[in-house]
Amino acid sequence: MLSVLIWVPILGAVIIGCLPESMVATRSRQVALAVATGLLGWSLYLSSQFHLSEPGLQFQEGLPWIESLGLTYQLGVDGLSLPLVLINSLLSWLAIYSSDGQIHRPRFYYILLLILNGAVAGAFMSQNLLLFFLFFELELIPLYLVIAIWGGARRGYAAMKFLIYTAVSGVLILATFFGLSLLSGSSTFDYAVLQEHTLPLSTQLVLLITLLIGFGIKIPVVPLHTWLPDAHVEAPTPASVLLAGVLLKLGTYGMLRFGLQLFPEAWRVIAPGLATLAVVSVLYGSFAAIAQTDMKKIVAYSSVGHMGYILLAAAAATPLSLLGAIAQMISHGLISALLFLGVGAVYAKTGTRDINVLRGLLSPERGLPLIGSLMIVGAMASAGIPGMMGFVAEFIVYRSSFEVFPVQTLLSMVGTGLTAVYFLIMINKVFFGRLPDSLANLPRVRWHDRVPAMIVTVLIVFLGLQPSWMTRWSQTTAVALVEDRLNRSTTTFAEVRSVPSDPDWLSLQLTGSESPKRPIH
Amino acid sequence: MDFANLAAQLNAGTILPEGIVLITLIIVLVGDLIVGRSSSRWTPYVTIAGLLAAIVALYFQWNAMEPVAFLGAFNSDALSIVFRGIIALSAAVTTLITVRYVEQSGTPLAEFLVILLTATLGGMFLSGADELVMVFVSLETLSISSYLLTGYMKRDPRSNEAALKYLLIGAASSAIFLYGVSLLYGLSGGETRLSTIAANIVSSAGEPSLGAVIALVFVIAGIAFKIAAVPFHQWTPDVYEGSPTPVVAFLSVGSKAAGFALAIRLLVNAFPMISEQWHFVLTALAILSMVLGNVVALAQTSMKRMLAYSSIAQAGFVMIGLVIGTEAGYASMVFYLLVYLFMNLGGFACVILFSLRTGTDEISEYSGLYQKDPLLTLCLSICLLSLGGIPPLAGFFGKIYLFWAGWQAGAYGLVLVGLLTSVVSIYYYIRVVKMMVVKEPEEMSEAVKNYPEIRWNLPGMRPLQVGLVICLVATSLAGILSNPLFTLANSSVARTPMLQSSLVAAKRVVTAPHPANLAQQPVDVPQL
Repeated sequence: MLSVLIWVPILGAVIIGCLPESMVATRSRQVALAVATGLLGWSLYLSSQFHLSEPGLQFQEGLPWIESLGLTYQLGVDGLSLPLVLINSLLSWLAIYSSDGQIHRPRFYYILLLILNGAVAGAFMSQNLLLFFLFFELELIPLYLVIAIWGGARRGYAAMKFLIYTAVSGVLILATFFGLSLLSGSSTFDYAVLQEHTLPLSTQLVLLITLLIGFGIKIPVVPLHTWLPDAHVEAPTPASVLLAGVLLKLGTYGMLRFGLQLFPEAWRVIAPGLATLAVVSVLYGSFAAIAQTDMKKIVAYSSVGHMGYILLAAAAATPLSLLGAIAQMISHGLISALLFLGVGAVYAKTGTRDINVLRGLLSPERGLPLIGSLMIVGAMASAGIPGMMGFVAEFIVYRSSFEVFPVQTLLSMVGTGLTAVYFLIMINKVFFGRLPDSLANLPRVRWHDRVPAMIVTVLIVFLGLQPSWMTRWSQTTAVALVEDRLNRSTTTFAEVRSVPSDPDWLSLQLTGSESPKRPIH
Repeated sequence: MDFANLAAQLNAGTILPEGIVLITLIIVLVGDLIVGRSSSRWTPYVTIAGLLAAIVALYFQWNAMEPVAFLGAFNSDALSIVFRGIIALSAAVTTLITVRYVEQSGTPLAEFLVILLTATLGGMFLSGADELVMVFVSLETLSISSYLLTGYMKRDPRSNEAALKYLLIGAASSAIFLYGVSLLYGLSGGETRLSTIAANIVSSAGEPSLGAVIALVFVIAGIAFKIAAVPFHQWTPDVYEGSPTPVVAFLSVGSKAAGFALAIRLLVNAFPMISEQWHFVLTALAILSMVLGNVVALAQTSMKRMLAYSSIAQAGFVMIGLVIGTEAGYASMVFYLLVYLFMNLGGFACVILFSLRTGTDEISEYSGLYQKDPLLTLCLSICLLSLGGIPPLAGFFGKIYLFWAGWQAGAYGLVLVGLLTSVVSIYYYIRVVKMMVVKEPEEMSEAVKNYPEIRWNLPGMRPLQVGLVICLVATSLAGILSNPLFTLANSSVARTPMLQSSLVAAKRVVTAPHPANLAQQPVDVPQL
């Protein structure tokens, strides 16, 4: 069942590669779109078959692969990976749909996007550490090429920077996996087997820190973030959507799946440090965004800030905060996709992204009123205005992290305020005011510019009003993650956090997780 | 000694594969003499058929009861069979990609093939040589034919220069190697068989004698020259740049594989008493090769020089398997050499094709190639990415296996150096891919602008195309479907008595795997 999500895109890529020369220009896009639609349908079907009350892995598949390496082909999804698999299918479809029909070298472009889709889906579903690493590295070259070929003026530099940073992060992750597998005494990389094993705390710390540096590059956490603004600014819009929406999530997903779950004791030790780092990310990203003049850079730095919330929630590691982390991953994925689509449309029509040049684009006759309105919705959602998805996710994150890290949470909340500041600056300058004549007579906005942004907007508002649709996938898994940890290290954990170790409190919190939607109704 | 006993002692059937290669060589040589220049139509195919027949013969030897032959001079155990197979296969693929190159340069093809077959023969004998005289004779057979091959384009001054350099440095290193061997002969009281040497030296003194260490250093110098490990690599870039490209392809795969076979057999068999010392020296060589090879490759502008440094670095990766000396270590080495054969020869096939069409080897001239020649671009990209260890290509699995084996054996420092330098290597491999794939039509180089329409029906082009496609398919699929190769590599090690006894001895003597390696590595070893 799950293999479909990996192999169909690759099959689609092969089909596009084999198209005769005369059909490339027209058919590549159609084939890619058909494949992406099928994948989206299939992942929706999978989620309809998903048992919400089941905390463990579902739809498991397993085949032996290379025994000498301990590599097996083992797939499965739980409440942590299913939403990410869904959003991967959705955003890949959007990316392919929103791609310019006249793009040059269409064959190669769609092949790369499909491989990217398959690789990311594979990484989210892998239940073998080496298999995860394989997919994690597989995504590297296609995205490098997408940025390097279809990117902006400094694309070569940005793409190479992305490549080197990600390759280094891959090496660190691989070294950790090797260390973990070896030290646990079993020559296997099977996730389920390794999870059963407990290592001494000092060993866990060394491995976890290496792993977190690896995933921290991918997330990106502040001192390691410099590749992201460059990559975002130079990448073509669909690649930006995928990068922000899906690929950064590989970092946070890996952190939760492999960091938190494989090294629970060490995680507790370094959690305060992580939370502080999250605050630094949030504040640095927000302040840096205020200083930017390029619309895409603003959105890119806002990504740095908003990924910090996920880190904060992950550091807190209560059932509710993990739910918040997952919700924030989804919400950031959708919101940044919307913002990048909007920026992409503005750039495509006006030829610039400089907020000091653009003015009055909301003008109903000659401007970009629909795109502008959607951008405003995106900015509001990102700033956490109630009624939208961003609010729900951020509320859960703050509500749950506050009990564990009050200072850090309060400081992060400042970031939400700052989000409003930089997006208001951007929207005020770009969309309000009088449309100058130099920007008049913009090209018509076509449907494939509008539709993706509209779909995402509908989702953002809908999930903001009905957040349980977003959180219900992950609730049981989030509880299971933490309860599992509690069972494994009851004594040490209870001392540190006496409140969350009480099982009644857990259930209370989870019914409480519905609370954010109450003020909305 | 009666005849039957003598025949059993000689056990001549073990060198049947070499016999087939030798007969092929004679057929090509005599056939060319009789028929004249027009023989070039069939000699390559005879060569390939002969080499493939030799591989088939090797396959049937897999289960041979009695591997030792010629009174102990030659050992046809599973390890030597695998290495002989690698050498014969690399010669066969080299033949495929050679034909057009030699034809176009206007030099006789049959003579080239004869020398190539001689080199193959030398390499194959070297892989199984179990006695000092045999080692030296086969090593020289390989070396002298390699010198001839490098100088084969006799009208090209660069080829002459390369041959002279190679000859001078090679002869010096052979002399040093021979001196080391003569020391061994003396120290062991006149023994030439590798396995008896060790026993005799140990019995004469409890502590490893200084003489043995000196012999070791000299022998390692000779071997390191063959596998182009830093600091014995200086000849590599110049020779690779000047020699005919097919020769470089063979030197970088076949000759190197023979060097590794020699390294395993000689070091494991003859120097067990100073195994800490040789492990230390090889660790240093491996680290230097990985670091220097990968870092210097960054600065190269010529494709052949870049591949030369890349092959130095790859040798460093393979040496990890040799240094750790566990069963998985040897097996990962064999596996890596198998996949390296395809990806490196595939890379060279592309370089040959490109230089045949344009006459240049500069990396910048590859700019924008995807427009004119998608097949070449695809093949070269896949081979280079595989060399860089990008999944799901064959090189990724090879590297993972090497590193995993190293990590299991506790060689953390070596593996970390390997991991970090392979990140560096991605940079220079991707630089070529970027040149070919990313550059727009307006950035196209002069050479590519004038790229002639490809004509596969020219004489010698078809074999080149076949070689290209074989390497492409093998590189893309050998990783995903690598179980048979893994089984082959593992069982070749498991079935080799020599390695098994050394593994048992290592377990008995040292409980932890080579603590000396760990302690003496210059890199920080996390105390896990």
